[in-house]
Amino acid sequence: MHEMQVVEIKRIIKETKRIKTFILDLDVSAIPGQFVMVWLPGVDEKPMSVSYAKGDLGITVLRLGDFTRRLFELSPGDLLGIRGPMGRGFKVYGDRLLLVGGGVGVAPLAPLAEEALAEGKEVTAIIGAITKSELLFVDRIERAGGRVLISTDDGSAGKKGFTTDVLRELLEEETFDQCFTCGPEIMMAKVLAITGEKGIPTQASLHRYFKCGIGICGQCVLDGIGLRVCKEGPTFRDKELRKSPEFGKYWRNAAGQKIYFGGKK
Amino acid sequence: MLEVELCGIRLRNPTMLASGILGTSGAALKRVAVSGGAGAIVTKSIGLTPREGHRNPTVVEISGGLISAIGLANPGYEEFGDEIRVAREGGVPVIGSVYGFNFAEYASVAEKLESYGVDAIELNISYPNVGKAGAFFGYSEELAHEVVKEVKKKVSLPVFAKLTAGAGDIVAIAKACEEAGADAITAIGALRAMKIDLVTGKPVLGNEVGGLSGPCIKPIALRCVYEIAREVGIPVIGCGGIATGEDAVEFFLAGARAVQIGTAVLYRGITVFKKVSQEIKEYLEENGYSSVDEIVGLALR
Repeated sequence: MHEMQVVEIKRIIKETKRIKTFILDLDVSAIPGQFVMVWLPGVDEKPMSVSYAKGDLGITVLRLGDFTRRLFELSPGDLLGIRGPMGRGFKVYGDRLLLVGGGVGVAPLAPLAEEALAEGKEVTAIIGAITKSELLFVDRIERAGGRVLISTDDGSAGKKGFTTDVLRELLEEETFDQCFTCGPEIMMAKVLAITGEKGIPTQASLHRYFKCGIGICGQCVLDGIGLRVCKEGPTFRDKELRKSPEFGKYWRNAAGQKIYFGGKK
Repeated sequence: MLEVELCGIRLRNPTMLASGILGTSGAALKRVAVSGGAGAIVTKSIGLTPREGHRNPTVVEISGGLISAIGLANPGYEEFGDEIRVAREGGVPVIGSVYGFNFAEYASVAEKLESYGVDAIELNISYPNVGKAGAFFGYSEELAHEVVKEVKKKVSLPVFAKLTAGAGDIVAIAKACEEAGADAITAIGALRAMKIDLVTGKPVLGNEVGGLSGPCIKPIALRCVYEIAREVGIPVIGCGGIATGEDAVEFFLAGARAVQIGTAVLYRGITVFKKVSQEIKEYLEENGYSSVDEIVGLALR
């Protein structure tokens, strides 16, 4: 049973101007890529990927709408309801791993990098953000022994441009056993296209509007493949996503209507 | 052996997906038919306009079941044609579930779903978590009678009425629906319930109260089916807490011709329909029966 546990916030870390990490008084073991449903009593409940997966569980959140704005007002000692960790986490194959994370999408990739590096694997992470001050977990991955390549939209750090520009250049020179990506879905679709050309198996972590979070309401089912993001996902293999006409194109709002990324059909 | 006929519709097995579970998109419905093995699929309840439903948490697990208050979220009938088209690729009958806030809405949505090619209409007059829609019509004999009558005027497909045990006298409601021309009765929908968190002292569900489903409501559902089947001539479809072949057999013995499964998807996965069908088959074989029909209503005799 996925019972809701109401737990205290132990620590809050301000990562960037718009991103905070909440470390919870909840000692559970999660697989990087899994998510928890986070209930803010009286407000709402939303899925968040786990950014600290062992020991006290952590989530890393971008302030975006009403729910995250209310979350950002909380202090250590305040309460959150947690269901999970749930869903399918990343599965690591091979020894040379490539991570591509955009914005707050680096959240589930950081614990993956730490665990892989601890097991003696090689990790290269391409991290992108709109600007230098919004880059997430660069130090954390470097501290764990990973190599980090950076892109920023405005060129304030690393390469000016997108993670996919760095990725394209990198794959001219090097190859990897496996790629993991999380970030805006249009970015992930481009990552899959690039790694696909090079024959690098890739796993992507998807975000969808969730209701039940336990695989019964149908809200997050992907068109074409019928897989539930909350249950068979949120991480998917490239070969699964290539069969879905929805991936990289649209998501469904709370009413189940298709909403196209970037507003175009 | 497992084939049944319901209002002229042939089902390869008597397990149907209950409305409200995995039914918002064609892709999900198709998967329930193809991989899940359901004999028929019922869509999420569709209304006239898009509805986002209640805010989260919309579902909370308790021992013995779930309490949920999704709030009749749906994309609206105009957009649902594409989903029906994909659902039909599953190769099993598709039943369009309809809700409304008045008789005319029920009738227009039913008419539209008929034009999309569904095999039957199920009227949701059982949903308890949105003020004057759903169960509002299922609590009263007059309103239930009227909604069935108005829909029957507009569609030629079989019309099922899904009832709630929240009604004072569910048998009277069933009879009113039969008189108004309903072709089958589905019993029952989720029952009003709630969950309060002890740490915060607050109701967990965004809507505060929700509908209770799952194994804990099975004995109530079974009693309803038994009492309704004794009093009406039209087929009864059992719904409420069915998770195993043995559960399904109990409903057949009580007079149900088919069963709907919803919450058990949580406990046994999407293939619960295959599993339950196999278990029904084993029961029939072990007891010397050659079809489901042979055991329908045995407990009533």
